[in-house]
Amino acid sequence: MSFMPSCRDISEHSSDYLDKNLPFGKRMRMRLHLFMCVNCRRYLQHMRLTIATLARFHDPEPADPATVNTIVQKLRQAAPKPTHPH
Amino acid sequence: MAKETLPVDDELIPRLLAQDEAAYGQVVTAYHGLMLHLARAIVGDAIADEVVQESWLAVIRALPRFERRSSLKTWILRIVGNTAKSRLRHESRSISLDESMGHEPAIDPARFRGDGHWASPSALWHADTPEELLSSGELRAVIDAALRDLPPLQRAVIALRDMQGMEMETICKVLEVSESNGRVLLHRARSHIQAAIEEYHTL
Repeated sequence: MSFMPSCRDISEHSSDYLDKNLPFGKRMRMRLHLFMCVNCRRYLQHMRLTIATLARFHDPEPADPATVNTIVQKLRQAAPKPTHPH
Repeated sequence: MAKETLPVDDELIPRLLAQDEAAYGQVVTAYHGLMLHLARAIVGDAIADEVVQESWLAVIRALPRFERRSSLKTWILRIVGNTAKSRLRHESRSISLDESMGHEPAIDPARFRGDGHWASPSALWHADTPEELLSSGELRAVIDAALRDLPPLQRAVIALRDMQGMEMETICKVLEVSESNGRVLLHRARSHIQAAIEEYHTL
């Protein structure tokens, strides 16, 4: 990124900007650009919304008791001999 | 059923080593869903179950040698990641998992003018929240398809970060990528999903 970031620079650093992963100077220069540029503000807003939307895509799908039980039994069979401290 | 809280590693690991069946049940209940999500991201739905089963066996066999330089959760997920990656290398049509690490920009260069200004800026999405965005129903399928397009490691990073809300530092340990590579993978994945939503809005 040169001294004043271009729109392309803003889009390339948008994830790091939203994740607060940029050094102070870079962050401030991006903020100044965003203050002046409606297109980049919109691009960032869209990325923010994209990320928030992705959070709705994880199926929490807890393992059902039958699956848990099957795995537990397999683990019991596969486990090495327990270690006894004495 | 109220979600049980998982005991801390210091308490849990000795119980697992002693083959305490209740402790087995607790870790499987706590981590199975997350392991499956990671495996699906890397190898796809069809063989993810197998990869997770194989990973559980590897976990239980390797546990006596676990040196506890990371949390149990990170260590388990790393085993899933490695099992999935080696499975993919084995069967794979894709030569490299790292196809995504090239130098081509994350966003279509045609969208910018020579001076770096937008040539085709984004059209407004008319949605301020995920609920509004997903209200059409069709968009969910668009995003699902865009996720399927991603290279495996990009899909794994975005699944763990933006869908599961894990910390980047942990994700990079799990996937054995550097922090800077992890960030590149995440940015590419997000840009791809965003572009797919964008395209849907301009149709």
